[in-house]
Amino acid sequence: MTATAVIDRAPATRLPSPPGDLAIWIFILAELLVFGLLFVAYAFARAGDVALFNHHQQELDQAAGLINTLLLVTGSYFVVRAVAAVRGGSGRACALWLAAGFGTGVLFVAVKFGEYADKFAAGVSLSTNTFYMFYLGLTFFHLMHVLMGMVILAAVAQKAWCGGYSRVEHAGVETGAAYWHMVDLVWLILFPLLYVMR
Amino acid sequence: MNATALRLRPCTRVWVMLLALTTASVVLGNRAGGWAALAPLLLALAVLKGQLVVDHFMELRRVRRRWRALLYTYLVLVAALIGVAFMID
Repeated sequence: MTATAVIDRAPATRLPSPPGDLAIWIFILAELLVFGLLFVAYAFARAGDVALFNHHQQELDQAAGLINTLLLVTGSYFVVRAVAAVRGGSGRACALWLAAGFGTGVLFVAVKFGEYADKFAAGVSLSTNTFYMFYLGLTFFHLMHVLMGMVILAAVAQKAWCGGYSRVEHAGVETGAAYWHMVDLVWLILFPLLYVMR
Repeated sequence: MNATALRLRPCTRVWVMLLALTTASVVLGNRAGGWAALAPLLLALAVLKGQLVVDHFMELRRVRRRWRALLYTYLVLVAALIGVAFMID
């Protein structure tokens, strides 16, 4: 039995395409492909110099990485609640849940900037070594997606607050939510890969 | 499972599971120094967490199976390739 089976049963009838605009799902698949290639590139680059990667990995602030993982997971949960709220016909509640999701994004960025500040103060840069090139490159690339996701959440929240979505028409909320979940999904691989696995 | 857990929304249960699995993977990673099975175990936990996000947060469990299969394949393939690279050392 999978963990999914424990949560609840799958519905009898299935939707033909995922929630939200189909275009965002094509975009999500493209983004996942890029992140996947970068993760695999990191893993094989590490295989070329395991001692260097393991040594410098221990210099990372794992607690900050853990806090950021919990923040992204929580932000994703808030966005799930936002989608449920708009489906129930409450645009205002939807906007508030989205604002909460945006708030987790703000905290994520703050923690990430703190990590970067410590590293830059220690003289770390993209050219320090291969490990730090991947650490800075991968986390910065992901950070850009978090910022993009926050812009989307803010725009959708504003429209939801003004009554721009209804119980029937709310594809915009589902589209923004799908993007935000993608940002969460890639971090769930990125975090153990960079901060924990050795 | 007690009555309180049963009253929780499915998405809330998933959220709590994700928080617990994330914390568990870090505790495991720090306590099992040098254990050969650690990398595959952490990858399996990452795939499990990804599966929960895909099914319940992205809601692909409500959608035609090919979408879910695509995302599952992605998670397993990326984890498998990372696992192979970690076995080289």
